[in-house]
Amino acid sequence: MPRATQPVLNAKVPAGRLQDKWDAYKDVVGLVSPANKRKHTILVVGTGLAGGSAAATLGGLGYKVKSFCIQDSARRAHSIAAQGGINAAKNYPNDGDTIWRLFYDTIKGGDYRAREANVYRLAQVSGNIIDQAVAQGVPFAREYGGLLANRSFGGAQVARTFYARGQTGQQLLLGTYQALSHQIATGNVTMLPRREMLDLVVADGHARGIITRDLVTGQLERHVGDAVLLCTGGYGNAYYLSTNAKNSNVTAAWRCYKRGAYFANPCFTQIHPTCIPVSGSYQSKLTLMSESLRNDGRVWVPKDTGDPRPPSQIPEADRDYYLERRYPAFGNLVPRDVASRAAKKECDAGRGVGTTRLAVYLDFAQAIRRLGEQAIRERYGNLFEMYARITGENPYAVPMRIYPAVHYTMGGLWVDYELQTTVPGLFVLGEANFSDHGANRLGASALMQGLADGYFVIPYTLGAYLSGTALNGRLTTSHDAFAQAEHASNKRLRTLLSTQGDKTATEFHRELGQLLWNHVGMARTREGLESAAKAIAALRHQFWERIRVPGENGTYNKYLEFAGRIADFMELGELMARDALAREESCGGHFREEHQTADGEALRNDEDFAHASAWAYTGNDQAPVEHREPLTFENVQLSSRSYK
Amino acid sequence: MAKSMTIYLRVWRQAGPEAPGRLVDYTVADANEHMSFLELLDVLNEQLIHRGEDPVEFDNDCREGICGSCGVMVGGIAHGPQQRTAVCQLHMRAFKDGDRIVVEPFRAKAFPIVKDLVVDRSAFDRIIAAGGYVSTTTGGAPDANALPVSKEAADEAMDYAACIGCGACVAACPNASASLFTAAKIAHLALLPQGSIEAPQRAVAMVDQMTAEGFGDCSNHAECEAVCPKGISVHGITRMRREYIKAVLR
Amino acid sequence: MSGRNNSIWQALVSPVGRKVLTGLTGLGLVLFVIVHMLGNLTYLQGGDAYNLYAHKLASYGVLLYMLEIGLAAFFAVHAYIGINIYLRKRRARGGRYNTYKTAGKPSRQSWASRTMILSGVVLLVFLVLHLMHFKFGPGVAEGYVVAVDGAEIRDLRRLMTEKFQSPLYAFGYPAVIVLLGFHLRHGFWSALQSLSFTSPRWNAVLYALGAAIGLIVGTGFIIVPLWIYFSQFN
Repeated sequence: MPRATQPVLNAKVPAGRLQDKWDAYKDVVGLVSPANKRKHTILVVGTGLAGGSAAATLGGLGYKVKSFCIQDSARRAHSIAAQGGINAAKNYPNDGDTIWRLFYDTIKGGDYRAREANVYRLAQVSGNIIDQAVAQGVPFAREYGGLLANRSFGGAQVARTFYARGQTGQQLLLGTYQALSHQIATGNVTMLPRREMLDLVVADGHARGIITRDLVTGQLERHVGDAVLLCTGGYGNAYYLSTNAKNSNVTAAWRCYKRGAYFANPCFTQIHPTCIPVSGSYQSKLTLMSESLRNDGRVWVPKDTGDPRPPSQIPEADRDYYLERRYPAFGNLVPRDVASRAAKKECDAGRGVGTTRLAVYLDFAQAIRRLGEQAIRERYGNLFEMYARITGENPYAVPMRIYPAVHYTMGGLWVDYELQTTVPGLFVLGEANFSDHGANRLGASALMQGLADGYFVIPYTLGAYLSGTALNGRLTTSHDAFAQAEHASNKRLRTLLSTQGDKTATEFHRELGQLLWNHVGMARTREGLESAAKAIAALRHQFWERIRVPGENGTYNKYLEFAGRIADFMELGELMARDALAREESCGGHFREEHQTADGEALRNDEDFAHASAWAYTGNDQAPVEHREPLTFENVQLSSRSYK
Repeated sequence: MAKSMTIYLRVWRQAGPEAPGRLVDYTVADANEHMSFLELLDVLNEQLIHRGEDPVEFDNDCREGICGSCGVMVGGIAHGPQQRTAVCQLHMRAFKDGDRIVVEPFRAKAFPIVKDLVVDRSAFDRIIAAGGYVSTTTGGAPDANALPVSKEAADEAMDYAACIGCGACVAACPNASASLFTAAKIAHLALLPQGSIEAPQRAVAMVDQMTAEGFGDCSNHAECEAVCPKGISVHGITRMRREYIKAVLR
Repeated sequence: MSGRNNSIWQALVSPVGRKVLTGLTGLGLVLFVIVHMLGNLTYLQGGDAYNLYAHKLASYGVLLYMLEIGLAAFFAVHAYIGINIYLRKRRARGGRYNTYKTAGKPSRQSWASRTMILSGVVLLVFLVLHLMHFKFGPGVAEGYVVAVDGAEIRDLRRLMTEKFQSPLYAFGYPAVIVLLGFHLRHGFWSALQSLSFTSPRWNAVLYALGAAIGLIVGTGFIIVPLWIYFSQFN
């Protein structure tokens, strides 16, 4: 596998003590004067927590912002679906939390595959996020005395999670959306909904624009700016079935990769253990059930493979509470990656339950006996309702059936400390970048990262770029780079529509998803990854010969959008397999069966793999080149995670 | 085992905003009770694409009832017959084998049809932009606990803030009024000290914008509350009127 | 945000203002029909009670004129805005639904709530006829006169008795009154809601009160004509 020899990745981490780096950076960072800010146009793609907060903040500072989203409204980005909460090192409960502890929990939870300085900064600004959200009118849960309530979450020993019922993501997103709306009203932000970014325009070595498709008219549009902020979320939908929204996709990020931005750690995907299992081939997405259910529910499978009895008729003696058996210290509360792998192991061994046999029980019978049904209803009522609505079963009477599902992707475009990619002027925020969660993300920290990047990091680092870079102020959309990018997008759309083969985009997507799930999912092997890479390449070639896209370009055409996105997912899928192959260790969500301890736990290799793998595109059908950013841990001791 | 069902759909087809529309009959023979209603449309669309026909366009995204993208009239009711459920979480077990279901877009002059079941709800964004926010910029916010908020106020604010902006309230309202949507935001922010400072201007600005968008008046049918996937109470409309009256009498 | 302090006029023609005016005038009219109904019921007392009641009213002179002008204004505003809201609603819907159903409780949509415009317009037409027949109908000059305690006053009782002995009046009038009952059934509740006098705690009670008022007023108005009509066959 080709690998770059000389280090080309400069993370630009400021010197000094970890605790002082961000302040030191801010002390000397270049500024853009108010009069000059309005001369700069910033293109912000995506309106989730990262994009919405960035666009609102930059608009508030006086930049001219153009904000794009694929949905019909900026309020619908998939950040909205986050349930549990948002972490912040406020230490309101006085239970010993500090910025350092939040930093430490996050870096350890990520299995030591994240950059120290970025994670520390995240913990530092976490408190400001809560202040900002409250000032916007986000209705966080409160105690009777009127102060903010906190709850505990996986991977932490303190209660630092702020929440708004089970709709924290929604409330935070509506906060940013309203702030964005305010800036739209002032005229600083121009909102362009129902636009899909199809390409990045790099002119004279700088990211200077994007090509978008108006999803209603099919019109391709050119937008020029002084910097591009990519805030387009993760790529979990590559697996077809995931907890992501149907429109979540990698296309914008993938176009940037093909224009020179490196893609880091694509194999780091998070598989969430408590989702409602698949019920049939028509299934279009999976629904997450909050992790909090494992506080009172017990996970089990029948001891005998293929036990045909309904759960109520399986006596205690014939049940295997495998998490409690294997991890006596943490029991049902082991981290997400561990719980997911354990469920897969039981189902692979034939002990799965339900008609598909791809599920395990999450049983509340004992908790109901102990606490009463009312107590359980108060704690989890809305989740139980949702389960009943989707499955048609009453979880108060029969155990829930759950199975892991793809939920979040830690990998993403490589960025330095300033959130800038290897393409100058292209910044990546939120889930779309790779920077803060290493190989596994802790609960309640995705919202934190998206908002940290948008509210508190990018306003400084973008200023640094703009003040320190001499950009051609006369560059317009008539520049050749625009024409070339638009032409490429156009050609692709025409090919998709004119092929008129015999397989739909959904059928290709399902096949791709199956390949990724089986081989680049919860447990990976060399053979599996190699076979998957080959199979995906073959599927990709088949795609361009047999794809059938209905309708035309000049109207609203969802299946044309899908087809383009799935073509990109297939290329990404190959890279995911390649990255997983190159990483000869097990860490966080990446579990290589070759690298495990005698009792089946993940075996990390800090000697050879304490780095981020950043892949550079070299051409279609050509192997990408791997660059490595070594991760140096000056402040934390690398230790192995044990939950026994 | 999942029961197999045959469902007879009558779906509104309209090529574009100005094109004439009509109801077209389709049969989905291999539906089953565990499918969501949108998955039923997915299955229909796959069949249509293979037959060389145009698939039925409908907005959808998260498919877990929170993004507010989806929303169609199912059998004459916004989001279908199951209350407090967005159509993406409506499952076919709510129907019987052999049912005939009319599927139409949300209809309002302020929600022009884009294509088939897809409508343009940007009027909602303009109502929010008229004043549905607290005028802050990033930074300079006081400590989050500096201003206590009673639990009752926070809880009631959350009840209104839960609005997903799907437009079902408008679609179901006999008058095509956007009062519940507008009121939910006015009430949410007015209940909190952070939002109460601008409450009078907000109420006037948002009501004015709602009027300018061409929505109808509220005649207190409360149909909106019945179809709202989040069950937002029409008491919000009372709160909106109070804020508005206060603003005028100020 | 641009939300300026609206002028009173702008506020009154806003969706909130329109409903406040409709509610206020509506509640005023509810009060009027209740008083009117109670007045009608004096007919059942027999003798001169009804005529005395009518005479007493007429004796208020200028005060009565002022009340009547106020009442007319209430009717005019209520009807004008009601028709205006109906026309706006038609414009706001755009295309028609092929199929439309209510989702059931907590919706308060009912036959009554959907037909406010129908019952309202019928009541408006009825009001004109009603005034022609009774208020501006035959009086002392036309011989409808009766002596009570030495004074000659208008014999409204006779006029009423004659009118309601005809089946057209005896059954047409109650039919309109049934519509009035339905109008009040939604209208009373709606007025309170428009005026922001409602709260989740009291809503069920207030809504039921609306139904009770509709029923009581309807019944009160219907008794007299039916009693007159069927009495003639005794």
